[in-house]
Amino acid sequence: MNSFERIESTIKGDPLDRRAFIPILSLYGARMTSCSIKKFYSDPEAYTAGQMAVYDEFKPDMLFGPFAFALIGAAFGSELKFSEFEAPNIKRPGVLSFAQWEKMALPDIDTNPYLLYFRESIRLISIACEGKVQIAACLPAPIDIPALVFGMDRWLELVLFESEQAELVLDKVNRFFVQLANCLFDEGAMVTFLPCGYASPAILPRNLVESLLRPKLRQALGQLKGPSILHHAGTIMLDHLDILTGLPSAIGYALLHTEGLSKARQILGPDPILLSGPHGPSLDQLESSQIEQISRSILEDRDREKDRHFILVTLGADVLYHTPPENLHAMRKALADVGWNAS
Amino acid sequence: MENIQSRLLEMIQKADRQGANNLLAAWSEEHGYEKLLKQILIPTLQHIGEEWRTSENFSIAQSYVAAKIVEDALFMTLKNKKDNVNTVSEKGPVVIGNIEDDFHSLGRRMVKTFLEADGWIVYDLGNDVTAEEFVDTAVEIGARVIGASAMMKTTAYNIKKLRKELDRRNLSGHIQLAVGGAVFMVSPNLEKEIGSDGSSSTAIDAPELFDELWEASLQQETVHE
Repeated sequence: MNSFERIESTIKGDPLDRRAFIPILSLYGARMTSCSIKKFYSDPEAYTAGQMAVYDEFKPDMLFGPFAFALIGAAFGSELKFSEFEAPNIKRPGVLSFAQWEKMALPDIDTNPYLLYFRESIRLISIACEGKVQIAACLPAPIDIPALVFGMDRWLELVLFESEQAELVLDKVNRFFVQLANCLFDEGAMVTFLPCGYASPAILPRNLVESLLRPKLRQALGQLKGPSILHHAGTIMLDHLDILTGLPSAIGYALLHTEGLSKARQILGPDPILLSGPHGPSLDQLESSQIEQISRSILEDRDREKDRHFILVTLGADVLYHTPPENLHAMRKALADVGWNAS
Repeated sequence: MENIQSRLLEMIQKADRQGANNLLAAWSEEHGYEKLLKQILIPTLQHIGEEWRTSENFSIAQSYVAAKIVEDALFMTLKNKKDNVNTVSEKGPVVIGNIEDDFHSLGRRMVKTFLEADGWIVYDLGNDVTAEEFVDTAVEIGARVIGASAMMKTTAYNIKKLRKELDRRNLSGHIQLAVGGAVFMVSPNLEKEIGSDGSSSTAIDAPELFDELWEASLQQETVHE
């Protein structure tokens, strides 16, 4: 069974040779190829070389397009700051007011250099993989994009105190998101990974997620050409998971195992894929034996053992640059040792 | 008093900023603007802080709404401040900022608002502040507490440089290091790892933390004397 078949079977609930394994190793490609961060996040060929090096070393069941949300902000005019060992950050938001936003044209997916970088990276990885492994496009959910454009403060202020303007912002963002995501599907992505930070109970109260964010998310996801996995964005999600279920194109949900995966499965029902595992950005500080133990405890849980729709992933943001490779191999070892017991 | 506090709390939970402003303005007209912070706002914030510390339903949005209401109330109080009336006793000064390479200012701004409401004089250095800038400013103004904020793990590691700088200048203990930001919620060991003297899980709790650290700095000097 190759990775492509393994993921397909997980989606369908068919028998597997082993669980699928999806570490988020976008940045890690720069380490594997000793590529400078600036080149890595601007040159699709350099990015692709990094992903292929990740594939050769770890044989993950999914490779990722660039996990660099700041570049989406930059497409809207936000100013970037590059550091030596991490993905770029937003230094200054591109839009300061709703009036400025209203006048602004959406970035063109055919000419904007940041968006072309995403497109070309996915296209080149797709060619290099020759169908052996699934490719995910990692994009911020539409409800998170305005924070990259306005800054977190201003976006929160709009959502909380100017809900009509927030709705108009989301309508326009949705047009951009659908266009970009569908274009990435055309370039070779099989699925989109969509962190939804603003849907978390740690960010917004339930009433706002239900009344404002869910309808807009539904509208956007309903127009996608391919499936999506909704991601916890590094924070808690379980208490709002019911609000995110039943959305069009959403085939999977990634959330912290510490929140309770059995409860998550109850909320989701039997069919959607449940993804969980060790916290990616913490893997650099743990011993490989600890990582193996965390992975094993998740996989050996009685409910997980029988769950045909479960995938072991790294959670949170990208795995950090300096994480020792043996810490990632520890997850694979746990998978091999635990085996596959579901009948 | 309890009634107005519970109504204020309800408005914060509903993000009803205007309603809260009207409520506080009406109370201040009747009882005096100079009493608003001490008698209503600070006790309410302490109550909210206590409740949210033990609640699973706490959100950044609620904290943000509370911060905005406090900002509005501070503005209203200053506008109506009569001569020779002290609204809140002065504490500090203290220095806050987002550590080098960190540009996520939301939490820091909320901390500033809650500290100011509690009477602290706050020097806010903004985003992307180097260890040297933090320490230079603290020495210059006589701050005993520095508050460094980081949202991501990669930038939180830059706070280690601040600890090293304090050590290098023999200022650790005299200047206490508070840290905060989303990353400390998901990585509980990180706080110790980067060498902080303390942290609070919400912006509302920051005044209490700064009180403790200020006291720890004073104690440190007593020990050395």
